[in-house]
Order: sequence, then C-alpha cells, then structure tokens
Amino acid sequence: MTSALVSLRGVGVRFGPTPVLTGIDLDLASGEAIGITGPNGAGKSTLLNVISTLLTPTEGSVAVFGGPVRRRDLPQVRRRIGMSGHEPGLYPELTLLENLTLVERLTGEVHMSAMQVLEVVGLAGAAHRRASAASAGMQRRIDLGRLIMTRPQLILLDEAQAGLDSTARDIVDRLIHRTCDAGGGAVVVSHDRSVLTRSLERIVEVQAGGVS
Amino acid sequence: MTKRLVLPALSAVAIVYALWLALVSSPDVFQGDFVRIMYVHVPSSWLAFLAFGVTALGSALWLWRKTIVWDRIAEASAEIGVVFTALSILTGAIWGEPVWGTYWDWGDARMASTALMLFVYLGYLALRRATPDPVARAKRSSILGLIAVVQVPLVYFSVSFWRTLHQGQTVRPDGIQMDGSMVAALLAGLAAFTLLYLALMVERVRLARIEDENMLSDSVTAGTAITAPDLDGIS
Amino acid sequence: MKDGSGFWTQALTIARRDLMIESRGGEVFGVVLPFAAVAVFVVPLATDALATRLDQLALPVFWLVGLLFGMQVALRQTGTENLAQRRTLALLGIDPAARFAGRSLAAAVLTTGVMVVIAPLVVLFYDPDVIPAVGPSLLAIVGFSVGLSMLSTLAGDVTVGLRTRSSLAPLIVAPISVPLIIGASQTLEALIRDRSTMAPALLLTVTVLSLAVTGVLTAPALEDATT
Repeated sequence: MTSALVSLRGVGVRFGPTPVLTGIDLDLASGEAIGITGPNGAGKSTLLNVISTLLTPTEGSVAVFGGPVRRRDLPQVRRRIGMSGHEPGLYPELTLLENLTLVERLTGEVHMSAMQVLEVVGLAGAAHRRASAASAGMQRRIDLGRLIMTRPQLILLDEAQAGLDSTARDIVDRLIHRTCDAGGGAVVVSHDRSVLTRSLERIVEVQAGGVS
Repeated sequence: MTKRLVLPALSAVAIVYALWLALVSSPDVFQGDFVRIMYVHVPSSWLAFLAFGVTALGSALWLWRKTIVWDRIAEASAEIGVVFTALSILTGAIWGEPVWGTYWDWGDARMASTALMLFVYLGYLALRRATPDPVARAKRSSILGLIAVVQVPLVYFSVSFWRTLHQGQTVRPDGIQMDGSMVAALLAGLAAFTLLYLALMVERVRLARIEDENMLSDSVTAGTAITAPDLDGIS
Repeated sequence: MKDGSGFWTQALTIARRDLMIESRGGEVFGVVLPFAAVAVFVVPLATDALATRLDQLALPVFWLVGLLFGMQVALRQTGTENLAQRRTLALLGIDPAARFAGRSLAAAVLTTGVMVVIAPLVVLFYDPDVIPAVGPSLLAIVGFSVGLSMLSTLAGDVTVGLRTRSSLAPLIVAPISVPLIIGASQTLEALIRDRSTMAPALLLTVTVLSLAVTGVLTAPALEDATT
C-alpha cells in the first residue's frame, strides 16, 4: 500500500442549491507536491478546504494521513495540516512578532522561535510593527512564517504566491521542498499555471466542479 | 392525494368538536363563562411546549445524524410553536382582564416566562432567516436550539423565584373545581390541538422539502456560470 | 505535552490575546464605556424631576446598562475573529472549548471593568439611600459578567459572519439572560434589605455553571459551523 497522505473518493460539495464540486477523486502520495489550477469559480479553494478538513463534503469520502477523519481526532489531525490562504488572518492590533508568538504559545510545540522565523522570512527589522501597518506582502510572509514555525506534514497553499516578490516566492518553493523531503506533501492552488510549473510534479485541472 | 387530507380533516373535525364541548360545558363557579377561554389557552400552552421540545429534539438529532429532515422538523416545529406561544399569551391576557382585573400580571410567573420563551424562539427563527445556505443554517440553528432548551427551564425557574420574593402566593380564583363536562372539554381541546399540530407539521415539513427541491432543480454547477470575458466589448 | 499545550494554557493565551487587542484598540474603554456612562446620565432626564424617585431607579438602571453594554463588550468588533483567524486557530488544533473559555474570560474581565466604573456613576447621579457592601456586590457583578460574557460569546459565535449579527446576537442574548439578571440583581437587593443572599447567589451560580457546560459542549459543533 502506498502511503497516501490524502485520498478523496467521489467528493461532492454543494453550497445551498449550487453544486461546487462533483465526483472528485484525488490522491496525494507522501513526498508529493501537486498543483491545482482552473478558472475563477471552478471550486479550487473549496477543494482545498475539503482537504484541510475544515469543510465536510456533501458527498464522498475524505481520508487524510491514511484514514478517515474522526471527530475526536480532529485537533491532532489538524495540527499536522498547515494552510496559507487568500487572507493571512493576522490580528491587526498586534505586532508581527506578537502574531507569531501567539502561535508559539497556543501550540506549545514549535520548531523555531518567533524571532528566528522573522529572520527567515526577512522581517526581523519589522518585528515590532503592528500587522495593520504591514503591507500585504509582509502579512503574507508572516502567514508563511507560521508554516515554517509549526512544520506541518501537509501544506495547503491557496494563491499563496499572490502579492509576493520573487525572493519571497522562494520561501514558498523552499517550504514545499522541505515538507516533501520530510515525507509530507503539498497542494498548491493557483489560477496561474506558470506559478505551479516552477516546482510541482503534477498539475490537476479543476473545471466546473470536476477534475481532469 | 386523499391520504394527505386525512390528518387535516381529522384535526378540523376534532377542533369543531372541542369548541362545541367548550361552549356547552358547565361554567366555572368563580369565573363563570370566562373559564371557556381556558379550553383554548391551556392547549395552546401545551402545544408551545410540545413544539419547542420537538425543535430541541430535531436539533439534537440533526447534530447527531446530519440528516436534513431533522432540521426541517426543528424549523417547522419552532414556527408552529411561536404561533401557539403567541396565542397562549394572547388568550391568557384576554382571560386575565375579567378574572384578575388586568391584561398583564407580573404576579404570574408563567406569563412572563412564556413571553420570554416567545422571544427566544423569535431569535431562533431570525437566525434561520439570516443564514441562506441550508447546511450552514442547520448547523447554527441546531446549536441554538439546544442552548435554548437548556436555558428556558432556568428562565422559568428564575422568574418564579423572582415572583416568590416579592409577595406571598395571592389567593386567586385560578384553582378550578372541574366537573365532568369541563374535564371533557379540556381533554378534547388538548387532543384537537395536538392533531392540528401534527397536521401543520406534516404540511410544513413537506413544504420545506419542496422548497429545497425547487432550489435544486434549476441549479447549475458553480463554475459553469462563469465564462471567458468578451474582450471585444472593451473598446 | 504531546497534544500541544493544555486547555488552560490555550484559554489563557486566547484571553491574553483579546486583552492585548483591547489595550491597543480601546473599543471597550474608549467607546463602549463612555456610551454606557451617557446612558446612565440620560435616564434621569427622561423622568419627571419632581415626581420620580431616582433612588428607586438606581439598581434597575445599573443592571440594564450592565446587560446592554456587557453584550456590546462581548460582541465588540475588535474582539470578533474573522474567518481567516478562525480557520488558522482551528488548523493549529486549538481546543474549541479553550477558545470559548478564553474569549469569555476576556469579555468578563472587560465587562466587570465597565460595571465597576458605572457603579459609582449610578450612586452619584441617582443617590440611593443604601449602598450595598462593596465586596459581596463585586462578587455579584463578577458572576453576572462571567455569565453574560459566556452567553454573548455563544450568541456571537452562532451569528458570526451574518449580516444581521449586530442586532441578532442581542436578540438571542436578552431573553436568555433573565436568570443572570434576576440572580445578580436579587443578590444586591438582598444585601441592601439585609436578607439572605443564599438563594439568588445560588441561582446566579447555577446559571453560570450551566452556561459554562453548554458552551464547552457546543464548542466543537460551533467551530464546525463557523469555519
């Protein structure tokens, strides 16, 4: 048996009357990084939310880390999943350092201190700047910094490169490689194919609710 | 088709029969004819509690089984419950004026708690209206349905407690010496209203199913609604 | 600990986060509190200055202001996590019950703060005959704040992200808050009238406990409904 990190079978999602995804089968092996692309509104982000366990599909089954996700295991499973999405979800009143320290305190099992992470993402000089005063690109770097800090086995990136300069994009590439080398996996969503071809083995196209 | 009419027809007959019994039963020694309001008031109150109990049950079963029919049952029952709670308060007030000399009496803990319960379930229905997606709606409202059923008894208890602090039990003509015809009228009212509740529930749940099906029939997959832009249109 | 940090570490960290945000944003003490003070000040102006006995209004006004503005504290904009923040916390594996506890705790601290400032204003403007003992009164205020904060946090979470949230959440809180109002207000009345505070204090305690249990038990389902 291959060690599948993620396995979706016949997954369908419906928001109210509208089907967003239908009959999705998707596998992600250990050490693999895949890209998901498709036009606006095709359901890419929804697919990523299903993989993240945050969204329970209307139909079909989801297995993450080799088995179906049971309710009581949810916190443990989720701790091994890291997602960086459209919105960084920082607290605007807190400084960049405080935003990372919060993660450190809440999880209690980080691999790098908040200050070290700031150095890695090139924001040590802005540690005490409030998130509200940080640019979109800086906030995005902090969001990626959270993944560097908690080292999840499965990383899910939703248009994570948007708004990043080329050096910061290297953070994303390095993060993907390191995660896969350690036996984890990555799913990268982008509507821009050129972003995906940089470092990914396989690209899945989502077209109007299905995959090809 | 005819099968669908059995329950409404049955409840209609029962209501007419109960009303007739209510009108021909003997008047109360103290309250006279005003006691007849009780034959609507008491069954309304009973339905209110039954309905909200079913809402809580539907909420719990939805959370457990995630089957949409439980959410529809919870919703239908809450709507019916609100109507009968309002009816119960209204008939209570109409009865209170001639018998107690006031429409609203703070001395009666039940009146205040029933009014509060009405607000709780108006909030529940407002939450449902505010949530367009059926799954999100079921998730949120089922939790509120459970919070409500835990807290409503505390509301009732606290209002009774507040009431006992302020004055001793007043001697009031609400202890009714019931004869056979009065008991019959009350029981017939309870049975008729329960049948009416069942008939309304069946129809309301069916309506909810039709609403959902109508929504589904003309829906297309989200992505297909978006096409490539017409660049020639930008000139 | 293998499962990350424990319940109380998480809860206290969340509470600390909310209090830090408040210390920077100042929504409660810069906006809600002055608004509450104005409300206390306006009520006498709506009475007949000669016929109405203001001292009799002191306690009802105090608790009503506590209820309405305590709700505002718990539902404050700067204390509401957006979708991205909620998802981040969920994926960090934070116990939803710890999140509930932490957010309620922060709201309770802030609500107690508001009520403690409002109390002397009520005494000043309404001039009640008897002022209840400070220690036991403070306990009643704290109990009320804790219960109201948990209830408002629950209602805030049930309605988070909805366009009608700012009016819908108070509609949900107000009727359910009655046992808290009665428990707390009657405790103070008992202190003033030299009666036993046992029964109302017990009611307040039972209500607070039932809200705590409800909040903890519904937390996972609520997280699922709002991420």
